[in-house]
Amino acid sequence: MIARRLAVIIGAAALMLAACADGADEQAAPPADDQPVRGGILVAAIDSDPGHFNPAITTSGATHTGSELIYNGLVELDDNLEPQPELAESWDVENDGALYRFHLRDGVKWHDGQPFSSADIKFTFDELLPQHSRTKASVLATLQSIDTPNEQTVEFRFKEPYAPLLLQLNVTEAPILPRHIYQGTDPRTNPANLKPVGTGPFTLKSYTPDSQIELAANENYFKPDQPYLDGVVMRIIPERGNQMVALESGEVDWVFGVPGPDLSRLRDSGRYDFLTTGINPGGSNCIMTVSFNLDRPMFGDVRVRRAIGQALDRQQFLERVQFGQGRVAEAPISSGIPFAHAEGLQGMPTFDRAAAAQLLDEAGWRQDGDGTRVAGNVAGVPDGTALAFDFLVYPTFTSYGDLLRAQLAEVGIEVRLRQLEPPVFADTVFSNRDFDTNIISYCNGADPEIGVKRMYVSSSIGPVPFSNAAGYRNPDVDRLFDESRITVKGDARTPIYRQIQEQLVRDLPYLWIVETDSVRAFSRNCSGFSPSGHFAAAAFCRQ
Amino acid sequence: MNGSHSHYLIRRAGQFIPTIAAILLIGFLLIQLAPGDPVLALAGDNGDAQYYADMRARFGLDEPLPVQLAKYAGNLVTGDLGTSYMQGRPVAEIIAERLPATVLLTASALLISALVGVAVGVYAATRHNRLGDHVVTATTLAVYAAPVFLLGQLAILVLALRTGWFPVQGMTDPRGDTTSLRAGIDVAHHLALPMLVLAAQEVAAVAQITRAGMVNELGSDHVRTARAKGVTERVVLTRHALRRVLPSVVTVLGERVGHLVAGAVVVEAVFGWPGIGRLLVTAMQSRDIPIVMGVFLIVAVTVVIANLLTDLLYVKLDPRVRLG
Repeated sequence: MIARRLAVIIGAAALMLAACADGADEQAAPPADDQPVRGGILVAAIDSDPGHFNPAITTSGATHTGSELIYNGLVELDDNLEPQPELAESWDVENDGALYRFHLRDGVKWHDGQPFSSADIKFTFDELLPQHSRTKASVLATLQSIDTPNEQTVEFRFKEPYAPLLLQLNVTEAPILPRHIYQGTDPRTNPANLKPVGTGPFTLKSYTPDSQIELAANENYFKPDQPYLDGVVMRIIPERGNQMVALESGEVDWVFGVPGPDLSRLRDSGRYDFLTTGINPGGSNCIMTVSFNLDRPMFGDVRVRRAIGQALDRQQFLERVQFGQGRVAEAPISSGIPFAHAEGLQGMPTFDRAAAAQLLDEAGWRQDGDGTRVAGNVAGVPDGTALAFDFLVYPTFTSYGDLLRAQLAEVGIEVRLRQLEPPVFADTVFSNRDFDTNIISYCNGADPEIGVKRMYVSSSIGPVPFSNAAGYRNPDVDRLFDESRITVKGDARTPIYRQIQEQLVRDLPYLWIVETDSVRAFSRNCSGFSPSGHFAAAAFCRQ
Repeated sequence: MNGSHSHYLIRRAGQFIPTIAAILLIGFLLIQLAPGDPVLALAGDNGDAQYYADMRARFGLDEPLPVQLAKYAGNLVTGDLGTSYMQGRPVAEIIAERLPATVLLTASALLISALVGVAVGVYAATRHNRLGDHVVTATTLAVYAAPVFLLGQLAILVLALRTGWFPVQGMTDPRGDTTSLRAGIDVAHHLALPMLVLAAQEVAAVAQITRAGMVNELGSDHVRTARAKGVTERVVLTRHALRRVLPSVVTVLGERVGHLVAGAVVVEAVFGWPGIGRLLVTAMQSRDIPIVMGVFLIVAVTVVIANLLTDLLYVKLDPRVRLG
């Protein structure tokens, strides 16, 4: 009897143990969120048709977004915009930064099976990248020669030390294309522009213009295990609103940007994860910046420019226009470039309407009642001229114009908005200089040499889009930028950029409003994304 | 085809070339006069002056306008529509890729608007001044007055997002099979919503004109005589009344082909339909002049041919009309 009871107890205990063990198994069964799984297709929405897949001959954001997963650069930039090995495994910097020697990764193959070598690098820089406007104007302007002592080594020799090189060799600034495909052809019409051969994590499977780009995993990719996805389909959906509809209906898994008003709804739904970043296909570390046309006598007095800065409540721009996507700019150089951004900079105009009014009075712009201020004894401006000027905006930035107009009206300044399509805007501002003020999203890039210098040096006043819109000339600033380019050690450049920024907030050729972020949204089933052009290289989706 | 027909066709063909040439000339001048520089649009930011000069020379934009026009016309005569600035490919090839999607969209919308529009119009006429007629009249007026993009967004909201019946974007399912019969069904599924939105205004227009014509005919002496003779109502409607209304319906349809193509530009943008409408919008934004001119040419030719076909069909349907 006792034996039977014991047997029952033991049996029950064993069953309970087994049940517990099962329970433990169940808990362990689903993979952890950060544990990559293989397979599946990611559907990503992109804004526009790439036209072709040759990112070396254009800076078009559409072409780059559509093709960067197919190619590699010598280096890639990590989430903090630090250079990491990609086609180059390591590098040495010699002659104070006038010679860079790259040691290439072994065994890399093009998608067609041909071996990759240093000759491809030299060919791309010599023959293709001269058509990439940014790289031509920066790296190639100071580059003396590229040598290939052997198949695994490539040397960049510069006329003088060149500091920012390592930040300009990623797939966006200098994608490497195959010599054996492009040699002796016109790179603009080579059929490979539509049947690309790269070294990247994905290969092109099919392309239906204005509809979709189908990419398949490169089984021989040089990074172990990557990519995890079987493929990526990029759907071309021009309107961001339509992209939201496609995301919410489950037709796409990933969008590159969420319009501010949609963000809280997406967050509340609990169906998506988000990646907030300053990196965009059109450029990284962007600052919404108001330019004054310094050729206009009205803006000749820095007190007027400072007063306008003090009349602007930039926190409102962040909250009402950017819906919190970004931060108020605290220095002329973006906080996304930590070594150059001047922390705790004094003298940036802060919101103080009374001080703004007082400063305008002092500068000779007086207000009678609630009306627009008029000039009295202002140099170069006839007495009685109203303090009224035009403000040029892209159609996508009109809400900046509306808020700016409302805020400046409070101190008696009249702003007339002129909304212009991008090509017309570029023509009007940079070729014709037919404007008073405007707002531009100036993207600083990974290094001030890329996207900051162009705004301030006197040599970039002219018909080049997104150069020195203000028409600002200061020989000290010109000299400091020259000095920083040939100063190779990052920490030695920091004080130079600080001096530049101190001078800029004294002169105020521009007003730096907000640093903008963009928010990528993606289905909760997916993770492993990065903000760079290789956004899906290490991504995976649980089906 | 009799002698007057062929005489008419030859005369119309003679008008064809000058009409197209005039449209292209006006288009060319309009684009050139519009502000905005294709090279600035193409090269983006941070290039140097030499880069922009090289680009301008490459596209022949550094030459005087009459020279550019002469070169374009010369190439056009040999069938060369030029090369896209943005894509570096022949314009003819790019347009040929997109044309099938637009033809599918507009042709199916035209077909639907003819069939449904006539049916709805006949229905309303037979219920003249009764509830059915009032509902049809009010609905078609509302649809006719609504902008196409609004109809598109409403359709997406109600028929795609709320019900999940239709996909909202593109022509195919990105995760779907692209090779079998299922792919054809998939395209039809994606086509349904943009086609309905594009056809909606045309249905309304055709229904209105059919209804008005039918109401008139059904009250006429010959219909009263036919009814008195004991002809069945179906035959009265089709043979006696509708036959006389159809020529004006055909005229309306023919005239609206241009409108349909214009609507396709909007519908393609709303639904992500990969046709020449979207190509045109992108090309306009980037000032890709060869593509804009190529699309102008295709649209102009289509509208001119549609008008010609309308005339011929009119004769077929109304024996009283003679061409000449």
